[in-house]
Amino acid sequence: MNEQEKVNILMVDDQPAKLLSYEVILKELNENLIKAHSGREALDLLLKNEIAVVLMDVSMPELDGFELADMIRQHPRFQKTAIIFISAVHLTDVDQLKAYQRGAVDYISVPIVPELLRAKVSVFADLHRKTRQMEVLNRELRSLSARLIAMQDEERRHIARDLHDSVGQLVATLSMNNGLALMQAEKLTPPAGEALRQNTELVKQLSKEIRTISHLLHPPLLDEIGLLPAIKLFADGFAERSGIQVTVELSPELGRLAPKVEISIFRIVQECLTNVYRHSGSKTAAIKIWPSDEKMLTLQVCDQGKGIGVERRVSMSLGTNNGVGLSGMRERVRELGGTLEIQSNGNGTTVTAVIPETTAATVGVS
Amino acid sequence: MRTRFLIVDDNELVRQSLRTVLQANPEWEIAGEASNGQEAVAVFQTSRPNLVILDFQMPGMNGIETARRILEIAPAMPIVLFTQHASPELEKHALSAGIRSVVSKTDTFPMVGIIEALLGPSEPPATDGKKDKSY
Repeated sequence: MNEQEKVNILMVDDQPAKLLSYEVILKELNENLIKAHSGREALDLLLKNEIAVVLMDVSMPELDGFELADMIRQHPRFQKTAIIFISAVHLTDVDQLKAYQRGAVDYISVPIVPELLRAKVSVFADLHRKTRQMEVLNRELRSLSARLIAMQDEERRHIARDLHDSVGQLVATLSMNNGLALMQAEKLTPPAGEALRQNTELVKQLSKEIRTISHLLHPPLLDEIGLLPAIKLFADGFAERSGIQVTVELSPELGRLAPKVEISIFRIVQECLTNVYRHSGSKTAAIKIWPSDEKMLTLQVCDQGKGIGVERRVSMSLGTNNGVGLSGMRERVRELGGTLEIQSNGNGTTVTAVIPETTAATVGVS
Repeated sequence: MRTRFLIVDDNELVRQSLRTVLQANPEWEIAGEASNGQEAVAVFQTSRPNLVILDFQMPGMNGIETARRILEIAPAMPIVLFTQHASPELEKHALSAGIRSVVSKTDTFPMVGIIEALLGPSEPPATDGKKDKSY
């Protein structure tokens, strides 16, 4: 829906003359005006059209305005449809209250001031148009962010793989050649032998560096063996690099999950531990994953740090160079159909994600 | 009796260096080579090696899967996983699949010792599945 697109305004009254007068008043709004002569006809039209504003008479035979409003509100699609009541009778505060309780946005009494009615309907028509635009943009934004996350995962997997297949193999070969030379090191002069031993150590260090980069980009164990060993290995490496003691409690009955679920959980753990290291000041962290009821699994990462202060919420939600922050975690969890909750106080922070347990078999991965 | 090796790695350079390292021992020879898991299983059946050296991360079937297939054919076959990704977690999985040892690609020198230990001082290695797995 673009800014110029017309919206539908439904006018409901059992008296044709009144409908005609509303039509004359609202004509210059340049929207689509739809007439209904009874409550039943109005319901029928509502089901077939997307209605921005319902303008209705309170007193009608058969189904009156209040009853009609109740029925409209029961339908999930119309819970936010703007309803404006018009009434010549029922003018007490109690009547008006009754109307608002049924979800009316306005209550206009007769005689109608045309400019006033036009202005009120116009506001709600515009609001509807803007809400629709916002919904479309929101959907686009969400699908874009899901695609970006998936592309980032794929890109990292590629770089890690390339690193392994090119530089990694060259370094492995270098190291093997060094090994071979070392076996005959006694034939070298002492300085040459020392240089060879030094080179061997340097190549080892180089290999370790490349391995760490490649593992942080995309852990090879994740694809080849599964989430649990990949998390354990990552936690061990993190503990070694950061000095933060990490305990890992993973339910052993969890089998292979769908690749998208595995990479998402891994990235959430990675992001959480990065936050523990950068922001919490905690000396410990705990990772737990267990299957909860009804085909759901729960991931929890806790620390005993100082909690997330208001000033940190902003930077944490935008993320760091290595991650996409809390909002990225939320998007990942939402994309999987789960929920993410963060509890934080002066004694620590707990991030809990509850995710549907989609197994590899469910999505046909062997 | 000479020891026959099957070496499996998707990188030609790595295989070449492995060949050089292994052939430094006159008692050792290369029975066959493969560049992926599927090929490894096929070459294994025709080349009858005494020991298999397997890369872990390869296109298609990984080293642990390949080891499982080979051990279905010859349960007592000593297999060494030779990888850039050596870690306690990988080792746990590899050993539970029946792989004898996991060696980092940067540890070629110790690998020779590990192979010698696996082959044992006197007993000739088994070549088929009928022998005791704990040999």
